[in-house]
Amino acid sequence: MKPLINLAAPLLLAAAALSVGGCTTVVIDEYRRSTGELAVGDSVVILGRRHSSEYETEPDLIDCVGDTLHSPESGVNIIPEQQFVDALYPWFEPRKAPMHIKSLSKLMDIPDVRDRMEQYGVKYIVWIDGSTETTSSAGSIGCSISTAGAGCFGFGTWDKESDYEASVWDFRDQELSGKISADAQGTSYMPAIVVPIPLIARVQNNACKGMAAQLREFLLPPQSASR
Amino acid sequence: MNIWLYGLRTMSRLLAILAVVLLTACAHTVSVDGQFPTPVGNQHPLTVGVYLSDDFRQFTYSENRDDRDEWNINTGRAQKNLFETVLGSMFREAISLSQYPSDLPQGLDLVIVPEVRELQFTMPRETRVNIFEVWIKYDMHAYNQRGDSVAEWVITAYGKTPTAFLKSQEAALAQAINVALRDAGATLYTGFAQVPELQAFIANKQRALSMQEATSDE
Repeated sequence: MKPLINLAAPLLLAAAALSVGGCTTVVIDEYRRSTGELAVGDSVVILGRRHSSEYETEPDLIDCVGDTLHSPESGVNIIPEQQFVDALYPWFEPRKAPMHIKSLSKLMDIPDVRDRMEQYGVKYIVWIDGSTETTSSAGSIGCSISTAGAGCFGFGTWDKESDYEASVWDFRDQELSGKISADAQGTSYMPAIVVPIPLIARVQNNACKGMAAQLREFLLPPQSASR
Repeated sequence: MNIWLYGLRTMSRLLAILAVVLLTACAHTVSVDGQFPTPVGNQHPLTVGVYLSDDFRQFTYSENRDDRDEWNINTGRAQKNLFETVLGSMFREAISLSQYPSDLPQGLDLVIVPEVRELQFTMPRETRVNIFEVWIKYDMHAYNQRGDSVAEWVITAYGKTPTAFLKSQEAALAQAINVALRDAGATLYTGFAQVPELQAFIANKQRALSMQEATSDE
């Protein structure tokens, strides 16, 4: 029983650390050209920009924003990204997707594409561009196994930065409704005393939550956003 | 003496097994088997035959360089699915041909024959960017019923996928290839009528069809 008791304390510490996590700061900026006009039956599609060869807007961030925003009871109906891109293949593929609202109106000249968009009841298309990167890291952790047991000792730390911009296109009025940017940064720590204890800063997740909250206010008419 | 001989034989066998294990440990096999959505848009008023050769249907890219592990990447099935889906929805009628150029069915405006010219890929450790990248180049040929060349054009496709936690290199590369194949399909679909020879061919066909309609109305 003794080894179990010895392990219990570090494991409890690790579990507590996971629930605490590292610190993250998120800054949200908004530029609004018109107020939200989502009506009953309207849908919103959230798409990631993937045309750059140096980075890729992460599909899990797009899913996170979509899942956080999706709330049919409060009037926000989100179409999943992959479902929408497949239904409109090949017009929203990374190298073919409209980069400007003017290109979107050109795309609507194709009757089948226009019909498909109307079937989905698309009111807003939200393009998210950006990524989360590890900007620096320091420290080291060493682990060893011997006949007496196994353990890790050391300390590691790394910084992550998220930089995203969401452009909101009003599909029906064919205009740019506004832009939201989310900058988040955080430092994660991993002290290791026998067991590594990760104190993870959930940078991308916090950027997602911040952006989703701001988008909700943006898309819904003023009186329903407060619901 | 016998003991020494026996020992030497056992050692050489063990070394041979070790060599085989080490060689196969560095070989990667990727088999891409994607399904692709049907394109949405206008159809060209043509009846085309589509010939996908056995080489194309079973295409495997093999690479064994000194500075890289051995890779065998089979994209045959996925690219067959892609070209059948995309070409099948691009035209008024598309007929899959089991052989070419013999025994062509009557009434074909064009026969389309794709070929893989090149496949390249990079791994994150080579580019220092956390992305797997793939480039595929296709040579496209369009022939008329008599077998004369109508047009030749090139499709270049690009696909990438970020490295993901707990995902194998093979799985990540297969995903990047699927993205590249989707890109190839998109370029084929949107670029077909922009090839000058094909643009003129489609315009002639449309003119002939409208004249035919006008004559039948009279």
